[in-house]
Amino acid sequence: MRLRVALAVSAAMFTIHAASAQEPIRIGSSVGLTGYSAATDRAWRDSLELAAEKLNAAGGLLGRKVEFVFEDNRSEPQEAVVGYRKMIANDKVVAVDSGCVSAGNAAAASSLVRAKVPMILCSILPPRPEEQKWAFSFLPPPRFESETRFRYLRDHTTIRKVGILHDPTPYAMMMRDLGIKVAQEFGIEVVTTESYKQDDADMSVQIGRINSAGAGAIVKMGQGGSTVTAAKNVKQLGLDKMLLMASLDDGVLFTQAGEILGEQFLFVAPGVQIPASIPAGPAREAADEFLNTWRAKFGDRDPNAGARAWDSFSVFARAVKEANSTDGEAVRSAMEKMSGVQGAVAKYNFSPDQHVGITENPFVLGVVRKGKFEVKRSGV
Amino acid sequence: MISPAITSTRPRAAWTAALPVIAAGALIAYGLTSSGYIATVLGFAAIYGVFCTGLNFFMGYTGQASFGQNAFAALGGYGSAILTDRLGLEPVLAILASMSIAGIVALVVGYPTLRLRGHYLAMATFALGLITYEITIEWTSLTHGYMGYSGIPPLGLFGYELANEKQQLVALVVIALFGVWISNRLRNSRFGRALRAIAGSEAAAAALGINVARYKLAAFVIAALYASVAGSLFAHFIGFISPEVFGTAMVVLSFTMLYLGGIGTTWGPLVGALIASLIPEVLRSTLPGGLKEGQDIVYCAILILILIFVPKGLSSLGSLWQARRSAVREG
Repeated sequence: MRLRVALAVSAAMFTIHAASAQEPIRIGSSVGLTGYSAATDRAWRDSLELAAEKLNAAGGLLGRKVEFVFEDNRSEPQEAVVGYRKMIANDKVVAVDSGCVSAGNAAAASSLVRAKVPMILCSILPPRPEEQKWAFSFLPPPRFESETRFRYLRDHTTIRKVGILHDPTPYAMMMRDLGIKVAQEFGIEVVTTESYKQDDADMSVQIGRINSAGAGAIVKMGQGGSTVTAAKNVKQLGLDKMLLMASLDDGVLFTQAGEILGEQFLFVAPGVQIPASIPAGPAREAADEFLNTWRAKFGDRDPNAGARAWDSFSVFARAVKEANSTDGEAVRSAMEKMSGVQGAVAKYNFSPDQHVGITENPFVLGVVRKGKFEVKRSGV
Repeated sequence: MISPAITSTRPRAAWTAALPVIAAGALIAYGLTSSGYIATVLGFAAIYGVFCTGLNFFMGYTGQASFGQNAFAALGGYGSAILTDRLGLEPVLAILASMSIAGIVALVVGYPTLRLRGHYLAMATFALGLITYEITIEWTSLTHGYMGYSGIPPLGLFGYELANEKQQLVALVVIALFGVWISNRLRNSRFGRALRAIAGSEAAAAALGINVARYKLAAFVIAALYASVAGSLFAHFIGFISPEVFGTAMVVLSFTMLYLGGIGTTWGPLVGALIASLIPEVLRSTLPGGLKEGQDIVYCAILILILIFVPKGLSSLGSLWQARRSAVREG
């Protein structure tokens, strides 16, 4: 009788264990599929799905399939909070790998910390130190974008006065303040800063002010269609010598702005956006691995945001393997040990004191020539 | 057009009046026995319920247009954040202090603005919302601009904090019901009858000896106080605020809630807030993956259908059914 009971209990436990082994690892993702972050966050979502597909085809993670739960935050913090709480309470996600709506990620950070859910982010880190402990950013530090542009101006042009044109998003505001400091380090003076709203249909007034302040280049900080609007306005105002230097963005917008302004339009880009700029070696191999998978599914769609999402998931998956667990604290701790990991965009160096993974400048300055992106190496 | 619900003095059947309360009670009980996610959704509904109940004073009872109540919610939200974070004030005291500030601002702004009527008043109040929005973005040393204000403590008093969503939900529901109770008391008072007279006809109300400008100002200030409380509650509920929270989307959403629930009715704003908050979440949970992209379309279609078939708002469903039954009996 005792033997029968023991066998029955063992069989039941085995069944439960087998079932849990088949349960997928759920990872949440709060993305702005509509609103100002839509272009970046749609690419973020698509790339995560692609990465999960590839991993699952190769056997999954710790022997389990990976499943993403995407929640559209409409680029609004309140929506993000609701979505995050659903993912924590209902979907029981073990981690989140979220898009670039920094206000949404910051608004939900305290809930995620309480639930011990590591945050892998496209955006900047949340503001409070106790929240930063659980967050890992895959966004290149804003300083790198500014350095790339000002270094080019210092080394290849005679332009020593610039105007900053920015939108009011957290990232652009941070870039503006930092840009003013970085410009000084390169011997460049920011003569004026002008702001615009993302949906402004005309920026002639701001660009006119920058021109009359004596600037030789417009350093634009902000994403979306506004870059094309600014390019049109520079052309309409007949500013033949004025450079327009755009920040990190989708390649479609660069192509459009480049067609309008030609070599007057320059943009910051990671190597993966101009693959020929990456020298042969591990960086090129990592970029090619991503680009081959990406292009097979999405053709010539711009790989910028998608590449960072791909990297974020690769590093996360590596941390889970290192931890041999999906427990929040174990994964968080393993993420802090992810140093020297080569990704498609950059090499990632996380540590207990370093939760922004990109520590070396991955950017080049690009230009559009005959519809193709090339690295701008000499002056105008 | 002024809804008969605003000017009518006909008493409603007790059971139809109780219907929304029972429904709200059932949903709240569901929230308390469900996950933190459901509690969060219902918490937001309660906060918007407070906001819309206030807006109902000005738009429903008094029949005026205001597109700028988000300005007072921002004052409440940022007031609470700054007073608790920088001055170490208790959340409840911060809410009261923010209410005072919002009330004074409403008085100062409302005095000249409320001389306008119709579209002009709507545009002036809309401008008020936009100005406040710009200030919250640009005055970064005080508001942290677009970066947002984080680390706002949860609701509490004398060092005791409501740590989780469910405890906070109870507090939010109590506050929302208290707000509705005040609204109901005032609606049926001399003051409320004066407001409803203004909604019917300003000229007629003035002929009856009602000081129209003063009553309109009083309704505007009351709406601002409610909005301020809602903004503060939002800040303490989430622990984070940023300018987008109090943007134009808040105005659009609150209008939807007000008309969905029933403008000019006592319970309508709270019912509207509950339904408008729950529909997107029901769709989020039930729509299959491929259809999730069309969630907004389905949501808008549902809202349109409700407004077509229940034009007086969902809180009038009971009386609508009763009227049909009476018509059938008489017919």
